[in-house]
Amino acid sequence: MKPMLHYLRVTWQIFRKDIRVEWRGRQGVPVMLVFALLVVFLFNFALQLSPNLQAGLAAGLLWVALAFASTLGLNRSISLERESSALDGLLLVPVDRSAIYFGKALSNFTFTTLVALVLLPILSLFYQQNMFHLPLVLVILLGVGAYTGLGTLLAALSIQSRTRDVLLPILLYPLALPILIASVEASRGILAGQPLGELQSWIYLLLAADILFSAAGLMFFETILEE
Amino acid sequence: MFPIETDPSFQIVIRELVKRYHFQPVLNQLSLTLADGDFCILVGANGAGKTTLLRILATLVRPDRGEIYLGGKLIAQAPELRGEIGYIGHQPMFYNDLSAVENLRHYAHLYLCPDPEILIQNAIQAAGLGAAQHKPVRTFSRGMQQRLSIARALLHDPHLLLLDEPYTGLDTEAAQSLDERLQHLHQPGRIILLAAHQPGRLLKMASHIAWLQDGKISHHIPAASIPEVPALQAYLREEA
Amino acid sequence: MHKKPSLLSILDILSILLFTAVLILILFFTPTELTMGPVQKVFYFHVASAWGGMLSFILAAAAGIGYLVTRKVRWDWLSLSSVEVGLVFGLIAILSGMIWAQPIWNTWWVWDPRLTTTAIMEIIYLAYFILRSGLDTPETRARLGAVYVIVSVITVPLTFFSIRLFRTIHPVVIATGGDGGSAFNMTPRMLLAFIASLVVFTLILADLVWHRYRLAQLQNTIEEEVN
Repeated sequence: MKPMLHYLRVTWQIFRKDIRVEWRGRQGVPVMLVFALLVVFLFNFALQLSPNLQAGLAAGLLWVALAFASTLGLNRSISLERESSALDGLLLVPVDRSAIYFGKALSNFTFTTLVALVLLPILSLFYQQNMFHLPLVLVILLGVGAYTGLGTLLAALSIQSRTRDVLLPILLYPLALPILIASVEASRGILAGQPLGELQSWIYLLLAADILFSAAGLMFFETILEE
Repeated sequence: MFPIETDPSFQIVIRELVKRYHFQPVLNQLSLTLADGDFCILVGANGAGKTTLLRILATLVRPDRGEIYLGGKLIAQAPELRGEIGYIGHQPMFYNDLSAVENLRHYAHLYLCPDPEILIQNAIQAAGLGAAQHKPVRTFSRGMQQRLSIARALLHDPHLLLLDEPYTGLDTEAAQSLDERLQHLHQPGRIILLAAHQPGRLLKMASHIAWLQDGKISHHIPAASIPEVPALQAYLREEA
Repeated sequence: MHKKPSLLSILDILSILLFTAVLILILFFTPTELTMGPVQKVFYFHVASAWGGMLSFILAAAAGIGYLVTRKVRWDWLSLSSVEVGLVFGLIAILSGMIWAQPIWNTWWVWDPRLTTTAIMEIIYLAYFILRSGLDTPETRARLGAVYVIVSVITVPLTFFSIRLFRTIHPVVIATGGDGGSAFNMTPRMLLAFIASLVVFTLILADLVWHRYRLAQLQNTIEEEVN
């Protein structure tokens, strides 16, 4: 079978396996969701947010909650491979090991996007905002794509450390800052009624981040995991 | 990978392997050649580097220097050669929430095994796990996990089988079952390299023995020739 | 044993001499800026340190690539030394920026893109050390450190542009007006002092990195003797 096809099949299989494990255990997405909601509550009281929230704050709240929740998911996803050394099993497969990166990035992306889609109606409810805009979904897809793309790479780095549980946030947040800024600003613009055309720069930045971090994953994933 | 090629000239050639940790060489210009049909026991003191050697052969660890040839091709340049390798390490490599069947199915799909369902059922039956096949792996005993691990490693019918202390934690029944399995696998078309701290009765099954000392293979001889090397005989007696 | 290279001794002397010369240049030779007063002279060292910090980052990433390609540990020594020295230069840049900002804009901190990016860079540097401290073997520290620093360097342009874009949308009104920019016209004397500062700081950077590199080299020699 052609190596490219094998590679794609492996990526897909890893993604499928992550979905199946999540479905079986259901300890990933629900936990992420609850955590995201807790963040919303925390910020609500800490910042004394009014029920009639400005577009900017709603966007910011969405992305902060997503960033924190996503980090939980990223940690869990890579820890799954560590117990029983299942990761070794993936490394033994006769394809380029970046397939592991793409498979896991895809599942991380899916879980975080799911959380985002559930957050939208909830935030709409809490803050009397209609957050259901198609362009917003596009921004979420791009932003979450870049964030989980970078996060999957750094998660593989951090599990090798003794301080693995706290290390991922420390590595991820400074590097993910541009993704968060761009996502918040684009989201804010959309919620304030701006047309996508005006928000081009942010969209391009997110696209650039998506491409850059996927390329980094492609190049470095094997190096990170190969002792 | 499929179908298994019985090629009498198929060899594993390890040449001048070097691996350092903390700048100290654990493997120091190690060379070893295993021929088709060999069943070689790898012995050496704890920490001598047996696990490191096996993991390098399994491509899980990258050597600092040296080459490994599988069937004449350099492993480092051909990731597809990993399809010829089956590895059993200290950990079983499963997802604890999934069942035995689901885990094997995962691997069958990763290796693109033809007729996966038939293959999986055969593997389950051969491992004696028919009754427990749909239970999550986290409920399995150590012996059951090991049997499943062997099933996993053999699923894609690899030419080279690497086992790292597979008898650890097995009860007598499970050990016997593993013995039978290995005897059955010891035939042309396969190469078995098994690291054992206490080889004991394994020496009766094996064709060769390799002694890892000071980062090198100091002796690589047929199992029958052990009496000719008193140092090795003494070492084995000590470890037993 | 490793004798101190004579080139390094020359570099030491050159650095000290030129630094003194530039200091004199700045204190006595350059004119006092019209609106900002004498505190403006901090600018020379501020920009030069920031320049040094950025240069270190690039050097660290280049050394990281060097390690991944050659797997020779001295590349890691270079990477580590660059990050350490870069951390100090970045700190000087931030502190001098604050000293400069206070009397001019009546605030200790401005969220302008360069200063903010430098602050984020500092955090990334610190995260680098936290990453390394959790890893057990020098080989792992070198390998993962290299990947992290390379990925980090990629994010710096993203970070800078996102903050710059952010600032054009959310300008901050500062006491004397304007958006916190530091533009002023440089007379030929100022230009001379400016370029001289850049050159001297680059020299000092090279000097310090080399010293730190030698330290790592000597440390390694001692460890080898002990084992």
